[in-house]
Amino acid sequence: MTEQIATIFWKDFLVGLRRKATFAAMMMFALTTMAALSLSMRGAVVENNFLAALLWIVIFFATSAGISGTFDDEQAAGTLSTLKIYAAPQAILFGKMLFTLASLIALTIFLLPTFLILFDCSAGNIFLLITTVLAGVIGFSAAGTLTAALTTSASVKGGLFPILLFPVTLPIFLPTISLTESAFNSETFSAELLIILLSFDAILLVASSILFDYLD
Amino acid sequence: MLKFLTIFTTLTVAAIIFIVPPVQGLGNLAKIIYFHIPTAWVSVIAFFCSAFFAAKFLKSQELKFDKLSAKSAKLGFIFVLLATISGAIFSKLTWGAYWNWDPRQTTIFVLILIYGAYLTLRSAVTDEKIRAKVSAVYSLLSVLTVPFLVFIIPRMYFSLHPEPILNQAGKLEMDTEILIILIAALVDTTIIFIYLLRQKAM
Repeated sequence: MTEQIATIFWKDFLVGLRRKATFAAMMMFALTTMAALSLSMRGAVVENNFLAALLWIVIFFATSAGISGTFDDEQAAGTLSTLKIYAAPQAILFGKMLFTLASLIALTIFLLPTFLILFDCSAGNIFLLITTVLAGVIGFSAAGTLTAALTTSASVKGGLFPILLFPVTLPIFLPTISLTESAFNSETFSAELLIILLSFDAILLVASSILFDYLD
Repeated sequence: MLKFLTIFTTLTVAAIIFIVPPVQGLGNLAKIIYFHIPTAWVSVIAFFCSAFFAAKFLKSQELKFDKLSAKSAKLGFIFVLLATISGAIFSKLTWGAYWNWDPRQTTIFVLILIYGAYLTLRSAVTDEKIRAKVSAVYSLLSVLTVPFLVFIIPRMYFSLHPEPILNQAGKLEMDTEILIILIAALVDTTIIFIYLLRQKAM
């Protein structure tokens, strides 16, 4: 099981390296939205609560652009059924999920500093910021991998992924924004919110794992 | 069934128009609340109905449950729109604005998004069997947000919304007459939902 997960992760990683399109598109999407926001504000001073919301909107849509095709390449190449013969469904799910998480962490390593520089924002509590972002992308990758499996069979794909992902990840989205604001202001944060966030990460992980079995 | 429903609905509407006194300071338009509460109630019932049939489908793989799940969602979508619009009108009357992201408004808006996403997903998948599976899984996934919407959002944001009929103190702050008519309206709307759900052509 662990071996299969690792193999699928490694396979996706190699394919990702060879065909850089998906990853490049996600990074450029993040950069484009940040540039669009920053340019249109023309140096206006923005409140921290607004900045926190902007940051998560950028992360959400860049995530959508990056991970919506998690299963699409294999579906198009006709190799998805072979993959299903090779590995247990749970191994496929968690292998893909780990790869998604790795790409999202790579995305935020690029996105977060760029955002802070472009919007002239000082991260007061850097430890809280990193924890929040990490907890946020864990939830996004858990729900996102299952959602990507759902949209693979859709004939019309344009825009479908974010529509499906948003309501499901709202319990992640709202607490992360509040926590990010606290991190920007370096004020005392609500531990309750962090617990809510982490428990929804766990709920989404378990639910994806249970529901994925019904998909083939 | 249809005959009974017509009479019951007519009686309820008549009672709301003629028996219920106008709300103090708000006038007769405030009676839209007798439309708002039942439609909001049914939109939540329909949401759980849809998830329930989705779970039954995944267990049995019988397409009739998928049809019921889809129908519940379609009806729920209509009811949730009606509840939102009537709620916004009532909100304008009492709070002075149609919309201000009150926790209840947030909750109902998320419900609109979920219904919309579910129905979009259904229309995007052409194969009948795959569509049934995929939409059942999404339906169950979206139920996970319910504890968040019901227990956590009201804590994060301040609310002006009146207490639900069954409030935490467990006591009813209503006149008996009004309560009876409101319950009649709730029952009536629920029967309308069940009636429509059992119609073949939808």
